[in-house]
Amino acid sequence: MRRRDFLAGAGGLAAAGLAGCSGLVTTEPAGAPPVLSDRPDAVYFPTHVEGMKMAETGRAGSYRFALTYSYPHRFWNVNGREVTLTEIASEDDVHLMTTVWDADTGQILPETGLSLEIERDGELVSQEVIYPMLSQPMGFHYGANFGLDGDGTYEVTTAVGGVSTRRSGGFAGRFADPASATMQFDFSAAERDGIRYENTPDRAGERAAVEPMSMEGMPNGRARPTEELPGVVGEATSGDARVVVGVRDTPPEGVDGDGRYLYASVRTPYNAMVIPAMAMTASTGDFEGELVRTLDPELGYHYGAAVDAVGDAIEIEPTLPPQTARHEGYETAFVSFDPMEVTV
Amino acid sequence: MTGTTRRDVLKAAVAAGGAAGLSACLDIAGESDVPQGPDDPSTLPERQYAWGEYVRHDDHGNEQLPRHQVLLYLTLARDGTPTESDREQVAAAFDSLSRAYAWDHEGLLWSAAYSPAYFDRYDEPLHDAVECPPPHALSPFEQPAFDEQHLLVHLASDNPDVVLRAEQALLGEEDGANGVSFAASLDGVAALADESVDRRTGFVGAGMPAERQAGLEGVPDDGPVPEASPLFMGFAAGFAQNQATEDYVAIESGPFAEGTTKHVANLRQRLADWYGEQSFEERVMEMFSPKHAEEGWVDGVGTNLGDDSRVDETLADVEAQAREHGRIGHAQKAARANRDEDGNVRLLRRHFESTDDGVASLHFPSLQQRMSEFDAVRTAMNGTDLTGVTPAVRQRVNNGILEYVFVVRRGNWVVPPRSKQALPRPQ
Repeated sequence: MRRRDFLAGAGGLAAAGLAGCSGLVTTEPAGAPPVLSDRPDAVYFPTHVEGMKMAETGRAGSYRFALTYSYPHRFWNVNGREVTLTEIASEDDVHLMTTVWDADTGQILPETGLSLEIERDGELVSQEVIYPMLSQPMGFHYGANFGLDGDGTYEVTTAVGGVSTRRSGGFAGRFADPASATMQFDFSAAERDGIRYENTPDRAGERAAVEPMSMEGMPNGRARPTEELPGVVGEATSGDARVVVGVRDTPPEGVDGDGRYLYASVRTPYNAMVIPAMAMTASTGDFEGELVRTLDPELGYHYGAAVDAVGDAIEIEPTLPPQTARHEGYETAFVSFDPMEVTV
Repeated sequence: MTGTTRRDVLKAAVAAGGAAGLSACLDIAGESDVPQGPDDPSTLPERQYAWGEYVRHDDHGNEQLPRHQVLLYLTLARDGTPTESDREQVAAAFDSLSRAYAWDHEGLLWSAAYSPAYFDRYDEPLHDAVECPPPHALSPFEQPAFDEQHLLVHLASDNPDVVLRAEQALLGEEDGANGVSFAASLDGVAALADESVDRRTGFVGAGMPAERQAGLEGVPDDGPVPEASPLFMGFAAGFAQNQATEDYVAIESGPFAEGTTKHVANLRQRLADWYGEQSFEERVMEMFSPKHAEEGWVDGVGTNLGDDSRVDETLADVEAQAREHGRIGHAQKAARANRDEDGNVRLLRRHFESTDDGVASLHFPSLQQRMSEFDAVRTAMNGTDLTGVTPAVRQRVNNGILEYVFVVRRGNWVVPPRSKQALPRPQ
């Protein structure tokens, strides 16, 4: 067992702007404030901030898994254009989260079916497909609220599906197989209730985000830094998402087509977390078509297409918001998008 | 007054099995009065899966499979190639079973099937008119255990004591069944190596899932399974027009002619979100198709559909439906690969429900002439192509029923013709 309390140490939260705030530090999740009535249509600082704990890490082949948990919390599901609040259910004991990544590159695997099977003494406690989620401190991960059978030791098997998202460059042909790892979760309600929980009334609703957590031994969902991306043409903002647009001289291996390669790397403001699982089209020169969801070691998770030539301008239009659930503070952002134009 | 009803005892008897299950069953319901089978078993249909004529049918002509079923996954007792004496013993046991019960739903419908691992015991390969490779994963997200026991005996009857008696006599725990003294049992040749996984049970029929949902892992506590539903997911299935005929799934030539191939999966069901997060219309979209929901084709558990799920009417614009609704139907996805070029249905599905180990699951036997036909239908059901059409359809979410079913085991089997049902040779 390797346990870490991500927020208790010299974490990002204290530096995230609680200085001077009168936010209560409590150990009771019951006090979650109501959802703000005047949320901006943009990323905003949530009403409260929760820490989380590592249960255990696991490995299977080249995949690495981390199982973390926190208080059960509300989140918003996104199906198509619909955003629906999922409240905490009375039987929920924890919010369980899983991150899966490639050991060689640290690449987090997005957009794949991920399920958790929870057993205690060989008896099935729960098994669910859990949803991809975006949170301000973690970025992309998989999570769900679960009810447990009280304090004790649980065996949690995380199973990840082979990735069906297009893979290119050094990722071509990789991540195609499913894998699973079983991790131990020693749950006690008292220990959970010791996880940091802070109401943040002074900042709630402000156009800002809780700072990313950086945790030893586990990557977060940050996008590639703009300065490391090749051929960046420009940057645009829509639906409060930052869209970095670039052109590579040639399409990477694994992408059909000749000519150049137009890509968009979409990230959250403030924390630059990858925004996956949206649909978008682009037009430039003679090209008009879909930018395909693609995982590439150089570009990270991005949206791209081979184009014959790039015109004077590149228009990009998101056609479906990112199909990931949202933790508080992200549920009103990245939902409605205006078309963007970047001048070459 | 006791806290246990007659119904409680009966519904647990087949799952419990053994002498205790049988005795509980007989104490409550008594011995079923069931005719014996023919003196000469060779007068029975050559197809061991010739069940269609011998089961109940509803008003629309849909097969109503026997209400109680047991799957016995048997392992050969000895290494090496089965001997002639083994074969004679198994033939005698099977003939006795055939004589004991009439070949119908009140009596016993049953079959014996053999795995590729069984045929591997022989030097010569399985005849090339039979296409039945070892089981393998059929989706990019499953890691099932593979059933590679040697022999699968499938017992089915509307009477729970019949399947239990048949099982006991076949395994040599009783000397006979239904007034027929068994000339032999399988004892010493094949046995349940690990009863906890090798003996599986189930049931199917309107009312049976609802009756068993309380306290069952996988079904929410508020008891959402409708009384009228034959299956836990709340809809009828196996509509006659959407099933292959027994003629169609028959192997056409070679020593296994009139046999078939049988895939049996076990799928755990997790229905909290199926019932808790989704409206009836959303369940219709995910089980059948978005078009079914839009057109209001499905009432209640869907028996109003008659003998045809109408899924063929939803196949022309599957991608457009996925884009528009952000969801796609289980039946429509699978149907894309479940028709031959003449429009014939390729698979004959005979699935039933289970409460084994206190967990809601589905035993999914499917018969087809060639195993690759099953693989193709399952691949279509994965809907991997549709996840590329819209990110709203994900690997396991909004993608038919994939979010709610977890494949635990898969096995591939050859069902020989009845005349070769006892330890057949591969050629």
